[in-house]
Amino acid sequence: MIWGVVPQEPQSIEEAQELLRAAYRDKQRLAFVGGGTRLGIGAPPKSVQLVIGTSKLSRILEYAPSDQVVVAESGVKLSQLQAELAKNGQRLALDPALPEKQTLGGIIASNAFGPLRARYGAVRDLIIGVSIVRADGVRAKGGGKVVKTVAGFDMPKLICGSLGTLGFIATAIFRVHPLPEATQTLVSHGLSAAEVNAAAAAMRAQQLEPSALLASRTAPGRFDLAVRFEGFARGLAQQVKKASAIGRLSPAGNEVWDAHQQLLAEGPVRVKVAALPTALAKVDAALPQGKLDFYPSLGLGFCAGDLTAQLIASARAALAFGSVVVEEAPSPLDSFGTAPAALDLHRAVKNRFDPQGLLAPGRFIGGI
Amino acid sequence: METGPQEALGKERAQGPVPLPQTLLEELRAIVGAANCIHEPSELRTYESDGLATFRATPGVVVLPGTTEEVSRVVKATAKHGLPIVPRGAGTGLSGGALPVPGCVVVGLSRMRKVLEVNLEDGYLRVQPGVINLDVSKLLAPKGYYYAPDPSSQSVCTIGGNVAENSGGAHCLKYGFTVNHVLGLRMVLHDGSIVDLGGPVLDSPGYDLVGIVVGSEGMLGIVTEVVLKALRKPEATRTFFATFPSTKEAGDAVSAIIASGIVPAAIEMMDTLAIIAAKAATGLDWPEVGAALLMDVDGPLDEVEHTAEHAGNLARKAGCIELNVPKDEAERQLMWKGRKSAFAAVGRISRNYIVQDGTIPRSEIGAVLGEIAKLSAESGIRVANVFHAGDGNLHPLVLFDARVPGEEKRAEELAGEILRICLRLGGSITGEHGVGAEKAPYMAEMFSDDDLDTMAKLRCAFDPGQRFNPGKVFPTPRLCGDRPGLYRAHPTELSGQAERT
Repeated sequence: MIWGVVPQEPQSIEEAQELLRAAYRDKQRLAFVGGGTRLGIGAPPKSVQLVIGTSKLSRILEYAPSDQVVVAESGVKLSQLQAELAKNGQRLALDPALPEKQTLGGIIASNAFGPLRARYGAVRDLIIGVSIVRADGVRAKGGGKVVKTVAGFDMPKLICGSLGTLGFIATAIFRVHPLPEATQTLVSHGLSAAEVNAAAAAMRAQQLEPSALLASRTAPGRFDLAVRFEGFARGLAQQVKKASAIGRLSPAGNEVWDAHQQLLAEGPVRVKVAALPTALAKVDAALPQGKLDFYPSLGLGFCAGDLTAQLIASARAALAFGSVVVEEAPSPLDSFGTAPAALDLHRAVKNRFDPQGLLAPGRFIGGI
Repeated sequence: METGPQEALGKERAQGPVPLPQTLLEELRAIVGAANCIHEPSELRTYESDGLATFRATPGVVVLPGTTEEVSRVVKATAKHGLPIVPRGAGTGLSGGALPVPGCVVVGLSRMRKVLEVNLEDGYLRVQPGVINLDVSKLLAPKGYYYAPDPSSQSVCTIGGNVAENSGGAHCLKYGFTVNHVLGLRMVLHDGSIVDLGGPVLDSPGYDLVGIVVGSEGMLGIVTEVVLKALRKPEATRTFFATFPSTKEAGDAVSAIIASGIVPAAIEMMDTLAIIAAKAATGLDWPEVGAALLMDVDGPLDEVEHTAEHAGNLARKAGCIELNVPKDEAERQLMWKGRKSAFAAVGRISRNYIVQDGTIPRSEIGAVLGEIAKLSAESGIRVANVFHAGDGNLHPLVLFDARVPGEEKRAEELAGEILRICLRLGGSITGEHGVGAEKAPYMAEMFSDDDLDTMAKLRCAFDPGQRFNPGKVFPTPRLCGDRPGLYRAHPTELSGQAERT
């Protein structure tokens, strides 16, 4: 049961389209589910009568390694896609938690990401095409099969992070990247927030190009800093050597990333926090409880533990220019906090795509 | 006034001026000041077209506001009269994206060119839309930072125009387009209201409206502030210029380099005609071979030493004749100048030309160039090819002489055929120049009616009266379906491009 309903699992996009058409005709409220790992984001959709799952939409439709482009149905699991791409020495440069469970559709709809975002951007930066089934059952596409296209509005970006409120994601097209030949992690222990910022600044000053940067809180005001370099073996050594002179960084194994991946899927309450990259001290003070991991080159972090509604509210007040979004909670909490100033515009977009308010009603910001 | 080679065509002479309501003119003058309100027919001529000079129309007035507040008041005043508004940056666009609608209000953002904030610690800066692209990188250079998107027109085009067109450039192969480098926007909506979308902090809750507005070709509102990513300069850049017997070997070299896992910062191809043109324009002593590649790799020093060497070996293996490495930065800049001036340079070898822009899957480059050569031979129309080979973004320059009867038409047909080849292979009708007025008809070949209808929903959400930059992108007028009040003629009807049945 998802949101009180047993999901329907269409065998094809055409079947999914049929379900949407029927729901539209009967004014049934509906929601979508992929791997079901990120249902805690947003408010539970209100009185949903139909849930459509994508477990059977698991085909990789086209893959042209020489073009570094892949087309897949939305129910394809991230690990499944990565296994296929790896055969040609490539990957989708996205590393959110639970790749064996998360689907491409779910990753797109919920803007799931991991530490590689520091180098490759978010799903919005890697998706190049999408096809959706609209609330009225009409199938429409945007973007294309080439990385470089500016024809028409950028529909793929609109769908990223839309939590199923604009349409059912049928297929997606991504640009993929070569797998690195070599990888090396370095870790430094017991840094203050100021030292983390100084280390990140020093790496920029030295023109190092880490693929991931992570500060993990070990005690209030104390962090372990992890940095990962990737690339050709011949180039990696120089970067590792230069980094070793910064902030007591020394070579380490992958445990730090494994621990971080766990936090990305952990509860009982987990929030995503967004602030300026140098705001680690502020984030630390605003979210003093639970585990905290922060990407100091992006200003994004995750905090998991027994976080109360009150704590989350006060963290929002303290981080006025950022956001604290609930990703996981045993009982519903205010997911997004104060709605953005441009809420009317977001609402107008929703109303144009789903005028009857059938898709995941109430799940998004401002009750959209 | 400087006239480009296309100017002489006069294919679509400016339609006669549509009178502007006197009350609106007075209001606009009161808002921006008489000096910033251009109404004299002779002065309006400058604004009749953008870089695509074959498409022309005379606006009713051009206003040059100095602040967001003024833009908002201009939009409100114009809204009362129901007139269309066409935003404009530097007017360097190549697809007619800033083509006025007869009698419209053009809002030029050229006076809004302040840098409002620079915060390198957090990796961003906030600028007004009239700031020149290259000036951003110049401003950041002393600190070792730069702004990545580098369209060929970067020394004159504005950030606001880049946002409208989602401009790319040679180096977007590795670094992405404008949309990957814009964090936030302040914009004026159809009713004059001012909104902030996104900002220096990532992932602001809600739809990715920044991602939608970037590349929306001025149809969703007027952007008055932009938050840009400031990137740290890479430690090292290695460049080579490699010559090949034909585009086939050059294409093979590109494929081999990409397949080896190297992500070049840029990899550009030129064919014989383009090389000849670039030589004529810059005085470079490039050999007149079948094809040339200009490649940049950048990043940490050891990494680029390795990738440059490896890529060079792959180019040799693919049949490269000669591989030249610039001896210093000045020579490197000259090589790039040769490449970046290729469009204009073609004017030296042909009286008139059409700049085409389309994208194909990279692996099809060889086959497509073969097809273009065949079309060229059949029609007797020469085509020079300059393009971003790494991402399959072709820029065929279709050369013709408008004085020869029928040649222009054949050139246009050939340019259209090239787009159809792109579409047949799953590519795009525009990689970076935008759809604008020029390619709107081709949108219906790339997208279904349902696709276009879905895009139109977005436009209607932002601008239900569709008064921002009408007549662009969409092949046929689409109504938002819920406009209350009296019937107003759609701007495309006013301009005679469409009629209601």
